[in-house]
This record gives sequence, structure tokens and C-alpha cells, in this order.
Amino acid sequence: MAEFESIVQDYKQNLAVDPDMSMPVAAVKALVAFIQNHPASTMVEFVEMVKAATQALKASSANAISLSAGCDLFMQAVTRMSNANLEDCREKLINKGTRFVEKASSCRESIAGLGVSFIRDNGVVLVHSYSRVVMALLLRAASQGKRFRVYVTESRPTRGGARTTEALRRAGVPCTEVLDCAVSYIVEQVDCVLFGAEGVVENGGIINQIGTYQVAIVAKAASKPVYAVAESYKFVRLFPLNQFDLPTHRPSVLSFDPPSPEVLADEAQALKWVAGNNPSVDYTPPSFITLLFTDLGVLTPSGVSDELIKLYY
Amino acid sequence: MENKTSSNRAPKAGGDQPLPAKPKDKPAKKEGSTAKQEKAQKKAAAKAARAAGGKDNKPKGKDTTSATALAESKKLPLVAHLEERIYPPTTAGAPPGVHPLVRSVGLQFAEFKICGSNARCIAMLQAFKQVIEDYQTPPYTTLCRHLPTYLSPQINYLVSMRPLAVAMGNAVRFLKLNISFLGIDIPESDAKQKLIEGIDEFIRERIIVADRVIVQYGLQKIQDGDVVLTYSCSSVVKAVLLAAHQKNIRFRVIVLDSRPLLEGRKLLQDLVDAGIQCTYSYLNSASYVMKQVTKVFLGTHAVLSNGALFSRAGTALVAMTAYDRNIPVIVCTETYKFTERVQLDSFVWNEVGNPHALIQGPGEGPVIANEKAPLEQWESSPNLRLLSLLYDVTPTDYLTMAITEVGMLPFTSVPVVLREYRI
Repeated sequence: MAEFESIVQDYKQNLAVDPDMSMPVAAVKALVAFIQNHPASTMVEFVEMVKAATQALKASSANAISLSAGCDLFMQAVTRMSNANLEDCREKLINKGTRFVEKASSCRESIAGLGVSFIRDNGVVLVHSYSRVVMALLLRAASQGKRFRVYVTESRPTRGGARTTEALRRAGVPCTEVLDCAVSYIVEQVDCVLFGAEGVVENGGIINQIGTYQVAIVAKAASKPVYAVAESYKFVRLFPLNQFDLPTHRPSVLSFDPPSPEVLADEAQALKWVAGNNPSVDYTPPSFITLLFTDLGVLTPSGVSDELIKLYY
Repeated sequence: MENKTSSNRAPKAGGDQPLPAKPKDKPAKKEGSTAKQEKAQKKAAAKAARAAGGKDNKPKGKDTTSATALAESKKLPLVAHLEERIYPPTTAGAPPGVHPLVRSVGLQFAEFKICGSNARCIAMLQAFKQVIEDYQTPPYTTLCRHLPTYLSPQINYLVSMRPLAVAMGNAVRFLKLNISFLGIDIPESDAKQKLIEGIDEFIRERIIVADRVIVQYGLQKIQDGDVVLTYSCSSVVKAVLLAAHQKNIRFRVIVLDSRPLLEGRKLLQDLVDAGIQCTYSYLNSASYVMKQVTKVFLGTHAVLSNGALFSRAGTALVAMTAYDRNIPVIVCTETYKFTERVQLDSFVWNEVGNPHALIQGPGEGPVIANEKAPLEQWESSPNLRLLSLLYDVTPTDYLTMAITEVGMLPFTSVPVVLREYRI
């Protein structure tokens, strides 16, 4: 396992150096560096080595959904090329991977361009937590001189909402933070709901920060359109049937064991304990999503599967 | 159900004419008498039948002409376009060119001794392998031109015994395509060898290996504590459940079943033999048992290109009941069951099962010794028609996931698979 420690470190460093880099891109970048540094003598050995590296990467993170999208993409490229000769394959992979990483940063901009027309002048938008790609879209709309207001959910325990409001206020967009439990209060004023996504699954549902599903249900009940905004490298070959079918689900989540009295005595610690005892992501089924804004275009949820089949065929 | 629609239908179906009392009346009809005469004749016959009170009816199973006449008059207008078969099935009507193995397979199909798309498809292909092996190209022609014309009557014969499953249709198309790929100058023995290898490969890749892959995917979706409901008998679902049990996953199975085929019993037997905790119940208790269920696993006859399922009658009911309770409905299917066809209801195309089975069938309910089953004389009753449809269509809205050998897909992706993989 020691030889895979470097790749995990590499991956973490990629994320630390560039806070705008998303997990799948960091994973591909780490994998490219890995194959550059680790020569293999035969194709079989090479494929096995890459496979082991992706597994080590996936194992290193408690929430590997987004990360695994990058790993799977890379693995798919490897298997596609596996009947070529080794050196060719390695070189192509390195080129392809590097190009992918370079292109990835422009993804958000192209999505912002596609999605911005959905933000209307005088519109009211509800966003959940903090998402880089949603921010790109909103800031683009603001830069085009559109006047719109944004409700941002507080989204405990990460408090992503505070980050979003801060960034929006800096750009001069009127916004306010709403409690997670106040979503149904404000939803009737909202024109559309925007979500980012950690992963877009096979059926067009999304996996995103906890609370997304809840907001989506409220939005559907109020007949408001829900738009998910995600880069196509976040598409994962995963098909959860329900929340408990997510790879992030562990039996320890939401256990009925009470915390120790010391933890309960200290309010800050108690809050932290509750957060730790809760899931960090949830799955929103496709029936709650109106459209997905991706760099492949504006897709209906069923279009995701079409793209995935084409990608992995 | 019975003759609601008959009155506003064209008389050609003969649907609303009661059964003529004597079989002799029928040939007269065939001899091209004018429509008026025919009508008058029928009326008279009907009068006679009513007067006789249906007492003078003898069993007519033996005489084929009267049997077809009977089938005609007993047809429901709504499904008049569907072909009905004669019971009990025989190989007597087989044209002379039909290979003996095909005959025997055909009979087994008709008697439901070989049942289920996969089993039928494999049996058919194995028979065709033998047919190809025994085939000799006549002089002055070539194999690739003549073999299709030789195979056609074999296929037609199988169709006459029981309509081909959609999957079998796909297999036949594959075989014909393979024949057309053969050059005209390839030696006969090589050509045969190629075709037989092609068939073997089809069976291996599209059915056997596909099932293995499906089982691996299916295993990911069964967890400890699950209560899996399944309906009727699907070989793939059975394989998934057995594999899950072998993996020591603790789960329970509810097998739902329905008359007249009672296929679920075969599945139940195998699951119980393997030591899986099972509950067996009839379809009419679906809404009751559904409360405990966490997942529904279904097999299918075919998947239509609009994502609808064409499967054993009753499947739609199960899927809808599950959908109503927000329970995921998972369908295990090989992609060779996918078809370009679209069907919005179950009547456009369907297979008519043995109507006798509705009344006779394996004895259910309290059976009193020496007592005749009620409605045993249904064939002579002018007011009663029986309909046993074998399949129904489940709209795509009620289905959650398809597990295929190309992955776990939503049903909206069926046309994409058809397009990308050119099945």
C-alpha cells in the first residue's frame, strides 16, 4: 500500500493548492502524475496498477462519490486503450489526462453561459449551500446586469450559506440567508431553485450536500422548477435506489446511541457530535429535478443516462 | 367483460353470433354463400341452440374444423385479431419439411414444458444447430441463398405451436443476418461450422454471460434485512436471489403467483431448497404483502423501446402496487430482450393462453370429490367467452431500474441502448 500513499497525498495537495479544483479533476491529475512516475513492464501489470491506485484513492476519502467519478473516467480510458502497446497507451493517457485537467477549469464558464438565460431579470432564486459552479452562473448573470435576488439556505453544519451570501454581496447581488427550516416559508416567492452536485447518478438524480432533497421536495410541492448545475465529469455510474443505498451510508450514521455526558455538557461539542452523527450528503431522485445544466448542454434527467452510456460504451 | 363491444363491431368477426349447435353448419359457411344467407343460417342455428338449452352439445375437441369454428365463435371482439390455438396441441399439422427435433421442441413450447424466454430461446437455437448440421444444400443453389428458405418453415412451425418470444425473434434475426454474411463461395461444411459457432456464441454472450453480469449487479442491490418481492418465475431473478443467499446476505423473499400458470411455484421450490426464507402468496394479496416489501425484483418477456415492460400478465399490477408505496421496482433483463416495438396497451399484441385452463387448471379452492368443476360446459354456453391473456404492458413510470449486462439503467435509456449497441 505504501506506493499508493504518494498518490493520495498528491490528490490532497491538488485540492489544497487550487481551491477551485473539484475532486474528480484532482483525482485525474493525481493519476496522471502517478503513471508518469510508475513505469510498468507489461500492459496487464499497468492496468492492475492503475486499478489499485484508483481503489487506494477511493478508499482514502469518506465521501468518495465525486472522486470516484474521476477515477472511473480514467479507468475507462485505460480499458479503452488496453489493446494498444504499453508505451503508446501511457503517453496517450498522460496527454489525455493533462488536457482533461486543463479543459476542466473552462467547464464552469461554459455551464454559466448555458444556464444564465434561465435567470430572469427581477427573478428570485433559491440556492442551497455553496457550490462553485452555481456561483459561476450567478456571478455571470450579475455581470450581465440582470437584477435578481437570491435566497441562500444556511445549510448546517457546513454553513455553506454564509460563504455564498458573502460572495454574492461582494458582487452586489441582494441576498439573504434563510434557515434550513424556513425553506417552505420562502418558497412561494421563488422563481427557481439552483443546486450544485457532488455527483450526478445514472438516472439523472443528484447526490449533493445534505438538505438538497428536502429543498427539492418543497420546491416540487410548490411547483417551482429545480435546476441542477454540474460539470459532466461529475457523472457517475451509480444508481442509488434510495438514501440507504448510497455508498456513503454507514450503519453508524444516525445511530441511537446517546453521546457521553461530557459531550452533552458542552454546547459546541454537542453540536459537533450531532453533525457527526448525521449524513453529509443525500440523493435527490430525478423526478424532483427539472433540468440539469452541464457542459454537454442543458439536459433532462433522462439525458444523463444517455450521455453516460455513450461515455462508457 | 364478455360481449359489450360486440354489437358495434363489424359482423365479420362472427363474434356476436352464438355457437351453431352442429359442427356441420360450418363447412356450409365456408362454401362462399352470400352474407345474407349466412346470417339467416346463423340465426336459425342460434335459435336451435337456444331451444336445445345447450344440452345437445358434445365435446368437440377431436374434430379440427369444428374446433376452429368453435374458436371463431368464442373469440372476444376486443382480441379478435390475436391468434388462438387449438388445445390440446399436437404435431399432426406439421408440414413435411419440418425437422423432427423442431417438431418436438415446438410441442414442448405449446405444452408449456419449455417455458420462459431464455429457456425457449436456448431450446430453439439448439434445435436450429441440429437443423443446420443435418441440412444439405440442394444442387444448383448456394447455402446462403437456400438455407433461409429451408429455415422459414421450421420457424413458421414453431410460431404455429406458440408465438415466438420477442427475444427469440431477435435470435432468429441474428441467425438470418449471420447466414446473409456468408459468402456464396464458402464451402458448405465451413459455412455450417461458422453458423453453429455463431449460435453458440450468441447463447453464451447474450444469455449465459449476460446473466452472470446481471447477477453481479443485482447482488449490489440486495442488502441485509431486505424483503424482496418477485412475481411469477424469472430465471435471472432466481439466479440473483440464489447468489445473494450464497453470499450470506440475510433477506426474505415473497413470491407472488397467479393462476392459471402458477409458475411461481417452480421458483419457490428452488428458493426453498436453497434454504431462503420465503413467503408464497397469490397476486390478489399484492397490496397486503407490499407493506413489508423493500424491493421488487422482476424478470420480463421483453422491454419495449418506450421503456415499457411486456411481461407475464400481472406484472403491471405488481409494479403499480409497489410504485404506490414508493418501493423500487427493479427489472433484471438481458439486452437481447429489448425490441424496437412500441405498444401502449396489452391488446395491440398479446398471446392468448389456453382458455380451458381458466376453468379446469390445477384444482384450487375447495374441491368436492366426484363433483364436476363449475362451468365445465362453458364451450356450449352462448353467453360465456373466456379470455386468458399471457402478457401485459407495464408503463415505464412504474419501473425504477433495469439491470442489464450493460449496467444498471433507468428505463428511459432503453432506446439509447438499442441505438448505441445496435441490438
